[in-house]
Amino acid sequence: MFKYIKHTNYPINISKKDLKMAKYLITQFGGANGELGAAMRYFSQKFSMPDDYGKALLNDIATEELGHCEMIATMVHQLTKNATIKEMEEAGLGSMYAEHKKGIYPTNASGVPFTVSYYAVTGDPLADIMEDMAAEQKARATYESLINLTDDEDVIKVLLFLRQREVVHYNRFKELFLYYKNKGY
Amino acid sequence: MLFEDNDFDINMAFFIPDVNSSRKVNILTPIEGFLRGNMFEDEYEPYKNLTYFKLKPKDEKEQMLYQIMALSFAVNDLNLYLDLHPDDKQVLDLFKKYALEKSELEKNYVKKYGPLEVTQVNGNKFNWVNNPWPWEKMGGSMYV
Repeated sequence: MFKYIKHTNYPINISKKDLKMAKYLITQFGGANGELGAAMRYFSQKFSMPDDYGKALLNDIATEELGHCEMIATMVHQLTKNATIKEMEEAGLGSMYAEHKKGIYPTNASGVPFTVSYYAVTGDPLADIMEDMAAEQKARATYESLINLTDDEDVIKVLLFLRQREVVHYNRFKELFLYYKNKGY
Repeated sequence: MLFEDNDFDINMAFFIPDVNSSRKVNILTPIEGFLRGNMFEDEYEPYKNLTYFKLKPKDEKEQMLYQIMALSFAVNDLNLYLDLHPDDKQVLDLFKKYALEKSELEKNYVKKYGPLEVTQVNGNKFNWVNNPWPWEKMGGSMYV
């Protein structure tokens, strides 16, 4: 069961329109290293965790990642809100406009729609958690690339927050991995 | 050794999360942790020379909301830690403290500005539907 809370995990107030940044940023919603993949990965894997630690951790990180999906979508929404059709075309968002207008659709930065083949569920806790650790590192690296692509403080501060969450999640998964390795799962 | 992997050294191999380990965790205040995105001082890894930005709430409502968000963040980050260390009394006590502070602050916020959760609806109208939703910023049209 989930309940909605009417605030984002971290404040997002972007006042400057930036369509190119929106085009890059959408990948953290629907790309291979994005938040939707992260949320669904942990959500799916939790069912085969062998004890309370794994069940709790994957469940609770999956829940947090759902909030991060909303944050990325919020940023894209605010970055594109006041754009004209011509501006969208000029920024390379013409084909996106053709299919979605100003709708937020989970794709990567090249417009490729989200696919569940971005993540695995092996049913093996060590294999799954090792993937989770890699996923957090890839997401951290992607956030760093995105930070390098903008100089808008309103965008950077949110990306720094999200990047740091990847660091924390990585540390928790690593603790769980070492514990399970030691337990002999 | 050709492939020496420090992750699997003998000390880490015997690290068991569910006991009160000798490791002492340094926990930041909710607002300090919230700004960094990390409640654990020793685990904080800034990117290059970029650390974090101070938040500038534009009015009393936003200030209250940011405080709630900071407490909500603290509760969530300690939650993840406690998932692996449920017997850590120090962290559990902080978790309870921040959870209580959050619900107290939320009561005041909800009374003044409306619900953050649907069950907090107050007044004669179903004010859950009221703008703004979290993804919205006022001003401008989404239709071109």
